[in-house]
Amino acid sequence: MALSTQDKAAALAGVPLFAGISADSMERLAAVTGEQEFAPGQFIVRQGQVGTGLYVILSGSVKVLRGADELTRLGKGEFFGELSVIDQKPRNASIEAAEQTEVVALASWDLLALLESDPKLALNMIKGLVARVRLAVDELSGERLGH
Amino acid sequence: MAMTQQELVDMLSSLTLFADLTRPQLEQVAHKMTEESFPVGQRILRQGFTGTGFYVILDGEVAVKIDGDERARLAKGDFFGEMSILLGEPPVADIVTLRQLHVLHLGGPELEGFLREHPQVMYRMLKAIAVRLRNASRWRS
Repeated sequence: MALSTQDKAAALAGVPLFAGISADSMERLAAVTGEQEFAPGQFIVRQGQVGTGLYVILSGSVKVLRGADELTRLGKGEFFGELSVIDQKPRNASIEAAEQTEVVALASWDLLALLESDPKLALNMIKGLVARVRLAVDELSGERLGH
Repeated sequence: MAMTQQELVDMLSSLTLFADLTRPQLEQVAHKMTEESFPVGQRILRQGFTGTGFYVILDGEVAVKIDGDERARLAKGDFFGEMSILLGEPPVADIVTLRQLHVLHLGGPELEGFLREHPQVMYRMLKAIAVRLRNASRWRS
């Protein structure tokens, strides 16, 4: 199934990393993504490997595994690898297709190239991340204070 | 203790934040940012008060304190002050010097323009902030 750039932009729009970026930047981002399909039992991401991509599920579902333990399942519209696409740290879970699964994939090197040519996109992404760090800090403080 | 321009550029080239910059770009950064020093025990940013700038540590160490509790320490190559500037909100933490501190300082209103001019620095900053968020979040990252 061939997706249009608009379809892919719509899939990416649900990822918090891209909240608040302009329609124009979103379209350029969607243009560098690809579609991939995985058969049941196929690994999309392996624990311990360096993260090189962000994936948004278009159809099907995946298992999130740590070692042999299934942590959870993700389905349509959900995503994984969000921060790995930026910081390229080893993945702390494996992702296995639970059924025939179709994803939109964004490779970290394509994102990097885009960020260099679109500083506004990068700035918006930084602002979004900083706001989330702030929220995490507030939550930690709240917990500590017993709120 | 001010360094020569040459020494400053050499030092900047060794910091992760500026690792992708060419020599002429490093010279621009050295020109744009100002060197400052702070004695031990000084509060550089105050939680809840308006922030005054973006700082990159050249030497020394600071404590990050939230509601009086130390949460982290920052040293050479680390940076602070960007959160409140980018969000337009008061700092979330106190920054207090633990060892005589030598920093480069950029005024708050100049940060966005500076990052737009140097996308490589922005990307390094994005990575550093992603790591911070990852440390505060779950497997999904």
